[in-house]
Amino acid sequence: MKGKITMTITIGCTALILTMIMFTQFKTVDKTDITVIETMRETELRSELASWRDKYEEIEEKIEETNSKINEYEQELQNDVNTANLLQQEVKEAEGYLGYTNLQGEGIKVTLQDTEFKSITYSDLLRLVNELNAAGADAISINDERIISRTDITVVNNIKILINARRVTSPYIVKAIGDKKYLESALTVKNGYIDEIRFEEKLIDCTVEDNIFIPAYEGTYKEKQDFNYAKENKVEE
Amino acid sequence: MKEQNKVKIAILLGIMCFFLTAGIAIQINTVRKSSTTVGKTMVENELRDSVLRWKQKYENAYFSLNKKEEELDSLREKVSTTDGSHIDLTNQLKNYNLLLGNTELIGRGIEITLKDGDPSILKGYESDYIVHDGDLYQIVNALKNAGAEAISINEQRIVVNTAITCVGNTVLINDEKVGAPYIIKAIGSPAGLYGSITIPGGYLKLLELEGVNVSVKTIEKDTLIIPKYNGIYKFDYAKISE
Repeated sequence: MKGKITMTITIGCTALILTMIMFTQFKTVDKTDITVIETMRETELRSELASWRDKYEEIEEKIEETNSKINEYEQELQNDVNTANLLQQEVKEAEGYLGYTNLQGEGIKVTLQDTEFKSITYSDLLRLVNELNAAGADAISINDERIISRTDITVVNNIKILINARRVTSPYIVKAIGDKKYLESALTVKNGYIDEIRFEEKLIDCTVEDNIFIPAYEGTYKEKQDFNYAKENKVEE
Repeated sequence: MKEQNKVKIAILLGIMCFFLTAGIAIQINTVRKSSTTVGKTMVENELRDSVLRWKQKYENAYFSLNKKEEELDSLREKVSTTDGSHIDLTNQLKNYNLLLGNTELIGRGIEITLKDGDPSILKGYESDYIVHDGDLYQIVNALKNAGAEAISINEQRIVVNTAITCVGNTVLINDEKVGAPYIIKAIGSPAGLYGSITIPGGYLKLLELEGVNVSVKTIEKDTLIIPKYNGIYKFDYAKISE
């Protein structure tokens, strides 16, 4: 009788321990499912998916736009009326993208200022332009110097900052037209651009505005309007 | 009778223990494999599939957009030939599209190749000799300063609203992933660009000092091809103001 009880208890204990091990194992499985690497891979995929979808939709929109332009041209050709209007419209639109026209719209205004101890560097400005572009800005200017495709931001003798080969000085007022909320949050996000500039003990301030005015580019590239070295690479047919 | 009972119990317990042990063995195996657990891989594979599908869809749409644009171009030509007075406007529009990056370009210039330094040879911080997004836009800025007319990095055309950013370890240009080695092409005066970009104390020299593998070659013949911008221009918020 006694032997039986001892045996039962021993077996009971073994079963208990085995069951416990099993449960711990189950838990581990649960946890490994949400390891950082796994979720990162999935979120990365999701963001890539979203980005391709956006790009696709953009292109579709553009196709529709091109289609309607084609229709307009065809109609004008048939009716033989003012085709110049259409061309002029397209030229004007292109001038907007090139930076040859004044623009206005909602956006943000970022003010960077030198202090007695710390100066704003050209790199700070260059990075800000890049950040604003990443946040989808339509147009950007620094102290009314419009940023165009060939704009460079350089420094001479470590003090003079030149934009479009013209000198700009503190305070630097950077204006950007775009989704004002999105632009602002892209800069104010924790450990984002503004935090980093403040960490370096430099002065920065950002305000959201409903109507920002960005002036046209007035530099030398506008007068020349030509490439000296680059030609269109025409595919031979 | 008693003896038989005991045997029965022993067999029953034996079976139970067997199942429990088998359960544990299976669990351990599952944990080991969990980096490729079935459910996870399925979700990821599905995602990968749809990424590829959307990419394909985008590429198809992009192709048909190009066709449409060609059609529009020939219509414009037709307009200007039937009515000679519009030739100026048509040419202007063509030139603007050239400046905007809407065409593939060919010309002279320089080609810079940036490769991450080899950590087995170099000492110090690994971060120093890896090429970062910031390094790339500094080089682009330096090339613009040197008078480059058009620039591309790994077949991504640099336009006015190009952003060069990084997500984790990958660099994004025009929202597309690019990886090392970075091949930066710039059309312009070969000698002018070369002299300006390799100036001592310039950004490229600094990168070289930090351990990044830098090589620059000038291309004197018109063989340097810079692709067209694969995005589209669109103002969502800005309006032209007189």
